[in-house]
Amino acid sequence: MSRRESWLLLTPGLALLVLAFFFPVAHLLVRSVVAGDLGGEWTLTGEHYARFFVDGYYLSVVERTLRLSLIITVACVLFGFPIAYLMVHGGPRLRFWLIVVTILPLMTSVVVRTFGWLVILGRGGLLATVLDGLGLAGRSFTLMHTETGIVLAMVQVLLPFMALTVAGVMHGIDPRLGEAARTMGCGFFGVLRHVVVPLSIPGIVSGSLLVFALSISSFITPGLVGGVRLPVLASSIYQQVLGTLDWPFAAAQSVLLLLAAFAVIAPYAALVRRRDLAA
Amino acid sequence: MTRFSLIAVAGALALAAGVAQGKEQLVVNSFGGAYEKVHRELVITPFEQLHDVEVVMVTAYSADTLAQLRAQKGNPKFDVVHFSGGLEATAAAEGLLAPIAASELSNYAQMYPYAVRNLDKGEGPAYSAAVIGILYDTEKVNPAPSSWRDLSRPEFAGHVVLTDISNNWGLLSFLMMNRVAGGSLDDIGPGLAEVKRILPGATVVSKSPEIQQAFAQSDAWIAPYAQDYAFTLTKAGLPVRFVQPREGAAFSPITVNLVAGTKQRELAVKFIDFSLRAEASAGWAETFRYSPTNKAAKLSPEAAAGVISSEQAAQQLTSFDPIAIGNNRSAWTDQWNRAIAK
Amino acid sequence: MVGGVPLAAKAAAAVLVAACVTFMLVPLAVVVASSFSASEFLVFPPRGFSLRWYEEILGSREYTGAAWTSLRLAAVVTALSLLIGTAVAIALVRGRIPGTRTLVALFLSPLVLPTIIFGIGLLMVFSHYGDGPSFTALAVGHVVVTLPYVVRTVAAVLEGADPSVEEAARTMGANAWQRYWHVVIPQCRAGMLAGAFFAFNISFDEAVIALFLRVPGSETLPLTIYSKLEFSPDPSVAAASSVLIGLTVLLVVLMERALGIQSLTR
Repeated sequence: MSRRESWLLLTPGLALLVLAFFFPVAHLLVRSVVAGDLGGEWTLTGEHYARFFVDGYYLSVVERTLRLSLIITVACVLFGFPIAYLMVHGGPRLRFWLIVVTILPLMTSVVVRTFGWLVILGRGGLLATVLDGLGLAGRSFTLMHTETGIVLAMVQVLLPFMALTVAGVMHGIDPRLGEAARTMGCGFFGVLRHVVVPLSIPGIVSGSLLVFALSISSFITPGLVGGVRLPVLASSIYQQVLGTLDWPFAAAQSVLLLLAAFAVIAPYAALVRRRDLAA
Repeated sequence: MTRFSLIAVAGALALAAGVAQGKEQLVVNSFGGAYEKVHRELVITPFEQLHDVEVVMVTAYSADTLAQLRAQKGNPKFDVVHFSGGLEATAAAEGLLAPIAASELSNYAQMYPYAVRNLDKGEGPAYSAAVIGILYDTEKVNPAPSSWRDLSRPEFAGHVVLTDISNNWGLLSFLMMNRVAGGSLDDIGPGLAEVKRILPGATVVSKSPEIQQAFAQSDAWIAPYAQDYAFTLTKAGLPVRFVQPREGAAFSPITVNLVAGTKQRELAVKFIDFSLRAEASAGWAETFRYSPTNKAAKLSPEAAAGVISSEQAAQQLTSFDPIAIGNNRSAWTDQWNRAIAK
Repeated sequence: MVGGVPLAAKAAAAVLVAACVTFMLVPLAVVVASSFSASEFLVFPPRGFSLRWYEEILGSREYTGAAWTSLRLAAVVTALSLLIGTAVAIALVRGRIPGTRTLVALFLSPLVLPTIIFGIGLLMVFSHYGDGPSFTALAVGHVVVTLPYVVRTVAAVLEGADPSVEEAARTMGANAWQRYWHVVIPQCRAGMLAGAFFAFNISFDEAVIALFLRVPGSETLPLTIYSKLEFSPDPSVAAASSVLIGLTVLLVVLMERALGIQSLTR
């Protein structure tokens, strides 16, 4: 294929990416540091960022956002890893159904899945009915407007990303490594500990990063399940964009959201890279 | 595959071109749920049939609608907007609404004066009005509450429902609580202090259906909110009643406004006039106990007993300065969010 | 590997599978079950059985209009994304361009950026330089977020295909058109199909960008469900949601038939 032909094929995609992806994101970044009208008079400013730090409110919002996202990510690793293992090593039927079970919710609109959780977690909902039947809690038990409720719903929404990412990596592990470990006297858990887990680390890392990034930027599920008293950063941004129309402040918050994400992700990624090098 | 993709592309392009819509369209907002159903019955559907047009309804509370209008300034997607809580004054001051002449409204002469006050400034006429007081469960709260201060009574802890101020009825309730606590439109500190006292034993919701859920699943006993919603709950079979506290209740006209720059001005004005008919005004009173703004509205004795139907009675209720509300709203929201966040 | 698995691990696996299936599917099952409720309110367990809510949504202009908008959107997005994405994938796999690795990362980058940030950026740009939110703006946004899926699936398939066939066609004098029509595109077929599946499904179900770029009066189905959920949560919302779930099931089954379930996990 000639170079000209290649560029011809690439151009529409590149143009779209630059104009409709990088440009809007750059526009957002610029908005966050500019005061005045972009079309006319404007000056550089840090005032939108300063507003964020005037008191502890937004910091507490960030704290909640990061804390919940970390819990969600850890829960996704704990449940996602065994599911991925079964997806790769289970029988064909089990494998088929596990894929269906993860793909189906993944492909269903987040609005619909959250709706399901509202019916389950609300007062007199499915969970309350079950717990009542078991004698553990009354009918009026509810996880709506609680952080536990947010975590439960979010884990269901994000678990498929983790399971599929880990399964993808685990699939590439040479089965002979496991056999070798066994002939050398490793039991099931030995193989798991010395072969499967270490070699799945790249999948766990990229799955965690994906889940973490998705959870710090969600607002539909936290908003509907958590209510107005448990604001997370993304719901605050949403409020500024569509409610008070304070776009520069929303832009500044978006940038801080990204920075917060990097702040958590970067050491994690570096840690893993160092581990890889050491091994 | 190649044939498949050709068909897909051709089909998609045909779809994108869109099938031409036959009827003239009017885009309006409404407030969702049961309100929207009645709105359709009383106004929208008869209007569509009369003029052979289509009215597209968008569910959005007043504050969200105002935000959308601001974002769409110069290229409005709405033709007519409904506002409560005085937002029409803010919108009109910002040039988002267009004035209507009294002569354009066939129902003008029948309206209470307060309902057609500022037509020349761009504020639309009121087609009904709401009273904001206290809702309570008659089986749990005995004797009936009589003061805004009753919300913080210790025996109600765990059973109070407050509404977020992004909702206008929530905002007006809060402003009443603030006033009774000694605050004013320049100082909501006392109101916030009162709210903070109630919060440990309260649920904060943002949309009216959540109030119904709270009362229906029997843990909510008392909530500051609008009279019409008490009637909705009563109709749903709940033992809920509305009371005007002795310090006064807030009064909020609900207006129907012409959006500045609409391409459908003529039809939109017809729609606004149609919304003001005595039948519609009476219908709102019968179904929801909204107070009629059309003097010619004929009410059943039960409805008449439950609504405000004179200029004088309306004057006696508390009306807050809508411009001051508009100017302070975003600062209040900031303070409110800080106060209620856990 | 099954031989060496201790009983405890097997039991744990069984419990895990059961818990996982319940956890993942119950929210969907609850929605579907509520949609057949005969009562006026959303209660669980649903009371009575009726199809009245399906009748209601089929007769409601809000829902049918929104479904039509979503369908148009998803069709346009799928077509454009497939067209642009396939071209990109071919160039990345077969072309000789310096910096291919960087380009691949570039084209996959919309997957990494939080959608909320992209959505706000688009809203700002379309409001600043254009007329604000519109169907076109939303379609552009969806093409951007679905493009990485098409690029990835097509590139994956193309990497496994034999490039010498194309070379052969070239040496035998096939012109560019014939080469693409008879050789390259058929080689991409499976990837395009999987890409189309993702593009259609994502665009049809997406709610975040749609929320920021919504046009009053012509909203997509997920948004209509979202606002109903907030304002009037009756079983009609469950019925509309069940329709969305049904559509997803249908798409997954179609994909399973066409390419096998494994193709979806790549």
